[in-house]
Amino acid sequence: MKASVAGAGTARVSTTRVSPARIGPARMSGARREERWAYLLLVTPAVLVYWAVMAFPAVFSVGLSLTDYNGGPLRSRIDPISFAGLSNYLKMFRDPFFSISLRNNIYIILVSLFGQIPLGFIIAYVLHRRLVGMRGFFQSMIYVPTVISTIVVGILWQSIFSPYGPFTEIMHKFNPVWENTLFVNPRTAMIPILLVIIWMYTGTYLIIFLANLQKIDPQVVEAAKIDGATEWQALRYVILPALSGVIVTCAILAISGSLQSFALIFAMTAGNPARRTSVLSLYMYDAAFRGAPDYGLANAISTFIVALSLVLIAILKVVEKRAGGREE
Amino acid sequence: MKRETSLLTRVLLYCVLLTFTFMTLYPIFWLIMSSFKTTQEFQMNRLGLPRRWTIKNYPQAWNIGGFNQLFMNSIIYTVTSTSAVVLLSLSAGFAFAKIRSRATPFLHGSFVIGILLSLEAILIPLFLMSNAAGLTDRRLGIILPYIGMGMPKGVYLCTEYIKSIPDSLVESARIDGASYPRILASVIMPMAKPVATTLAILNVTGVWNEFMLVNILASKGSLKSLPVGILKFSGALASDYGKQFAALVIGMLPMLVFYAIFRNQITKGVSAGAVKG
Repeated sequence: MKASVAGAGTARVSTTRVSPARIGPARMSGARREERWAYLLLVTPAVLVYWAVMAFPAVFSVGLSLTDYNGGPLRSRIDPISFAGLSNYLKMFRDPFFSISLRNNIYIILVSLFGQIPLGFIIAYVLHRRLVGMRGFFQSMIYVPTVISTIVVGILWQSIFSPYGPFTEIMHKFNPVWENTLFVNPRTAMIPILLVIIWMYTGTYLIIFLANLQKIDPQVVEAAKIDGATEWQALRYVILPALSGVIVTCAILAISGSLQSFALIFAMTAGNPARRTSVLSLYMYDAAFRGAPDYGLANAISTFIVALSLVLIAILKVVEKRAGGREE
Repeated sequence: MKRETSLLTRVLLYCVLLTFTFMTLYPIFWLIMSSFKTTQEFQMNRLGLPRRWTIKNYPQAWNIGGFNQLFMNSIIYTVTSTSAVVLLSLSAGFAFAKIRSRATPFLHGSFVIGILLSLEAILIPLFLMSNAAGLTDRRLGIILPYIGMGMPKGVYLCTEYIKSIPDSLVESARIDGASYPRILASVIMPMAKPVATTLAILNVTGVWNEFMLVNILASKGSLKSLPVGILKFSGALASDYGKQFAALVIGMLPMLVFYAIFRNQITKGVSAGAVKG
């Protein structure tokens, strides 16, 4: 798709547009004016809605993070909002729940980058190269978890791993006195969550890789094979380089997706035991909506989330350049 | 093609695939079986098939959860926001792609940046703004953010797609005296069906399953959507297992059916929608 788009772009520059200028000055200004009106008419609704509910709030959030606002009317004479500098950020960095949430988020990012993406790629490759049978079936089985509502997935897996769930029952068959403390023990409570995260999102990467593998000319792979390349060498020297851009896109999706794992954890553990399975988004939610609202802190957290994802993506791009990725 | 992968590799691959299959099928199977047991039976028999099948859990869960209302709300949010996203994205994308303007780089750029903006970045300001504007506990207050959240990807995909439609088509329609809105409706929209489908599918699955925003913006029961309504079964009603499982099955079914019907379009949509900012 990229290539065709670029092609159309250059074509547009080279062919001279049927410019109204040739028709005459009076007609021209009329046509220009109509063009402007049409542009305004077509663009304004989209821009208005988007700026009102996305662009402005994003900026507003950074602004609020520098104040001590904690509820009540935004313009009040009794309790005016005052500038708080970076104090919310300092408070955040000193809060032990911040480091717990950040650490859990890092686990999720690592599991996504080094679990979901490689698994998704391997399975896509296996299906694409027809190394196994029942490909449509397997593809559906791996993708279906993604379409089910996150809340349903969260409650379902919470039940599976809970003391009354099948996991416990099965463990009891091996060891009748085994006690299920998975969700009670702060050390183990993240494990089921990470497993579910791998299970849930591998399918997305599978689909993305599969679609892009199909774009690679099969003749190139065949030619490599004829030249004596093994399956492994074809993968390493032909297919992987061709997919480097897609891998980076997937990594970006994984990073920004990992920072958004709110609903699943909210449904599975709500951050418990003792907020040990909290993540940054849940930490932000707690600051704003649980107990007395601390909107300054909550907005500092959300600003941190955005900054963190931008920094990680920037690092990724640098690594990509160093590694000599051949992205467009 | 000759088989050059070793037996061991293939056994290993099948193991991975079967593990995933088991992890998908078994929980769903267990959930459905458990939903046909009474809570008393579930206490005694947690793994096996129901000894006495009962469907009582379903009507009870339906009534307690108020699923009529939940379904209606979810459908309203999904359908209105999706139609608006598709329509607005196509019009803006058409203008960005085919009408020259000095404003385009800035305006279009503002949408592209938005692809990286997550809901977390705007949730609290949105909540405060919606309070200030008197939009909390009104459907519009939920639908508008959903539209806005769909716009960045929508505008990006539509602009790219419409750029690939030859300029000559637009120009000849111009020479025939058609206005731009008319060209959008009769030339661009019919040709942009694939991108509109992609966009619609991304938006339907996104909004239908969305939880964080609607949970904050809808405190009134009559505005809650399916995910929010189902969560109630894991809180106050958690020990009533039979009803909880029935509610989960009810919550899971619509998307499974949607996937079964639109499997190929969903697959295409997901890979086309994988764009970075």
